[in-house]
Amino acid sequence: MHIDLNQWHPIASSSDLPKRHIFHGQLWGRELAVWRADDGHVNVWENRCLHRGVRLSIGLNEGRELRCLYHGWRYANRTAGCTYIPAHPADAPARTISNNTYPGIEAHGLIWSAADPVGEFNTPEALQGSDVFALRAIPVNAALELVLSHARGYQFSPSGEGEASVSVQNETAGFITLHAKSANAEATLLLFFQPVDAGRTVLRGVLTAKPDTPVALLRHHNQAMSAMRDQIEAKAAAMDRPEPINVTFQRVDAELAQMPARAKSGPKAELRVSVTHKWQVATGIAGFRLEALSGQLPTFQPGAHIDVRLPNGLQRQYSLTNGPGETDHYAIGVKRDPASRGGSECLHDVVQQGDVLAISAPRSNFPLRRDALKTILIAGGIGITPMLAMAQTLKVQHLPFEMHCFAQSAAHLGFDDILNTLGTSTTRHLGLDPDATGAVLRDILTGYGEAHHVYICGPGPMLEAARTIAGNCGWPEDAIHFEYFKNTNEIDDSSTFEVALARSALTLQVPAGKSILEVLRENGIDAPSSCEQGACGTCLATVIEGEPEHQDVYLSPRERASNKSIITCVSRAKSKRLVLDI
Amino acid sequence: MKLYDYELSGNCYKVRLLLNILGITYETRTVDFYPGREHKSPELMQLNPLGQLPIVEDGGQVLRDAQAILTYIAVKYDASGQWYPVTVPEQLGQVAQWLAFADSITATASAARLHDTLFYELDIGAARAGAHLLFRILDEHLWFAEQSGQSWICPGDHPTIADIACFPYVILSEEGGVSRQDYSAIRRWCDRVKRIPGFVPMSGVFPTSSAAQKLKETPAFRRDTIGP
Repeated sequence: MHIDLNQWHPIASSSDLPKRHIFHGQLWGRELAVWRADDGHVNVWENRCLHRGVRLSIGLNEGRELRCLYHGWRYANRTAGCTYIPAHPADAPARTISNNTYPGIEAHGLIWSAADPVGEFNTPEALQGSDVFALRAIPVNAALELVLSHARGYQFSPSGEGEASVSVQNETAGFITLHAKSANAEATLLLFFQPVDAGRTVLRGVLTAKPDTPVALLRHHNQAMSAMRDQIEAKAAAMDRPEPINVTFQRVDAELAQMPARAKSGPKAELRVSVTHKWQVATGIAGFRLEALSGQLPTFQPGAHIDVRLPNGLQRQYSLTNGPGETDHYAIGVKRDPASRGGSECLHDVVQQGDVLAISAPRSNFPLRRDALKTILIAGGIGITPMLAMAQTLKVQHLPFEMHCFAQSAAHLGFDDILNTLGTSTTRHLGLDPDATGAVLRDILTGYGEAHHVYICGPGPMLEAARTIAGNCGWPEDAIHFEYFKNTNEIDDSSTFEVALARSALTLQVPAGKSILEVLRENGIDAPSSCEQGACGTCLATVIEGEPEHQDVYLSPRERASNKSIITCVSRAKSKRLVLDI
Repeated sequence: MKLYDYELSGNCYKVRLLLNILGITYETRTVDFYPGREHKSPELMQLNPLGQLPIVEDGGQVLRDAQAILTYIAVKYDASGQWYPVTVPEQLGQVAQWLAFADSITATASAARLHDTLFYELDIGAARAGAHLLFRILDEHLWFAEQSGQSWICPGDHPTIADIACFPYVILSEEGGVSRQDYSAIRRWCDRVKRIPGFVPMSGVFPTSSAAQKLKETPAFRRDTIGP
């Protein structure tokens, strides 16, 4: 049997993918889970969950994500990246956890794919521009060659009844073209052969014109093809059963299987995106829609942020506002900061629609649990951006939540298009002074219950107030999640100390005026970072020994007190020596 | 109503499914079908000399045979008359036809499952081949039903007990080594059955996602203790 993995084949009909269904397909022995997201995108994935290998075709199509039935791992529309692992509700899944996908093209009433495509999908000439009509697919338990040899003699009538002469007009890789002519009608049929496995083939017929009596024609071909199938299967039964195609699966992603190349130190901005839309979201807030120049943008989780490298050389962090499954673009909202050091100003005044920007892959240092009995989201001003992503996630999963947005006025708040989809779970608190804000926060945060979680993002003073009030209202620290825009603490970098890197077997001196992160990089250690001011948590390292002098705003008081983590871009050591797990 | 029930029996599941969909409260008497073979005990043989499950007791009457029990429950307890349309001969005829078909599914797909899971000695090849033959017929039937805008096995806008009768051993077929990969219309119909309000799963039958937006999801995975 000649296996041509490069060839495109129809693998399903469009009508096989109704809303919230997962079609179970197969091509050259490779099982496929094929599903249409609510936005219409057709996903063709390897039919096994990365976790325990359970078939995804028995999973749940939730419209934006596919959920494995076994342990609830969720995978995003388009990217197939894992967005949530229920057994680790407080952590964001690693970016490298991504299902194997195949290309999927919907055209002419069919879904097309290829095991290992070479080049773009091209519509067969006979289907171009015509009002084509897909027939019922007929699976046949026989090898491709046997099916093909019979299909050349397939007999049908253009009108569905009466005699006709049928001839093979064309034969090419993957399908044959048959022409039928009767006294008063003619029709052209393309018969595609989907190689399911060594001994299994699906016949997919497409008429090049829609018949006058569609159902009658569907029945006519169904009957004729079923009869042909029975003949073929009778022959196949008398032959040796071919061994199924032995598919070797890549055990892990190539990126995981080998050590990544040593990257240049410093914050990464490895993706190129184009600004496909820039708009006024609210007073002083600009929205940006970013699309990949080529390929697929990496998976994100609610609460994730990206680094944006600006034309003026600065780099800034912005939260994604995307809802789950909105994987064809990233959306960010940028507030013009009156005290701008050039970041927000540049995005507002310089960056235009059509410009190309360099960004980092999304990071999830503000992950959303999806196992809370109740979630409260509190947003101050532009702090609404990560909350929008979280709220949309909770909404589509029907998880109980309320969102409270504090802003100067409705015009300053913006994002009505998203907020309006959230319905009554969202409350706008407009024009309140700090005292009134405090009173409302007390109101919101009264009544803590087990497995309740609160997420807070906003300007420093409001965030501090909300955290304090939550604490006073009995919220345990584990239930209070927060993200600062920036670290307003004055950083004291006057100390000198020694840092021992346990894994790297390296001992370094950190002098006054330099951060641990800088010293790491000077010595060739590639350490990830993003904001580099102690707010985002990207450069967090585990402390094995010694007492850190915390100067960040990322760690919670308990995390600080435990002395088990350190934010290396700003924090230092109280002890003479720190041992880090690097 | 009392149902003599075995958890892993698809025929008992049919009855549970309809009772749940209709919102009828019932009690169960658990029968040790495997390995105890309690359905062959004198007590149970007295109730059903065929030595099979399910058996239902209701108001002093004892009834056996899954399809007969579904018929009885629908006529007696479904005031809408839609699950078993006694007043519409054309529909009723169809329902009766597919109830008999459900029996054939039991004789093939269920037999294959008994062989694979409960170690029954029977011709497994014949059982599986028989199931595939029936599934081809059902898939074709459902595919053309979809073409004319119909969702269920029998004509009409509402499911009938024919859907309930056919569903269990179709959805459990893979436990008997009968794949449904080639039956795309059957797979879609299974999703529709799972979305009937009041649907309940059983071991080996999984729920599907909601087509509507209304589903109330309670967090399925929760840690009892939070924090380190």
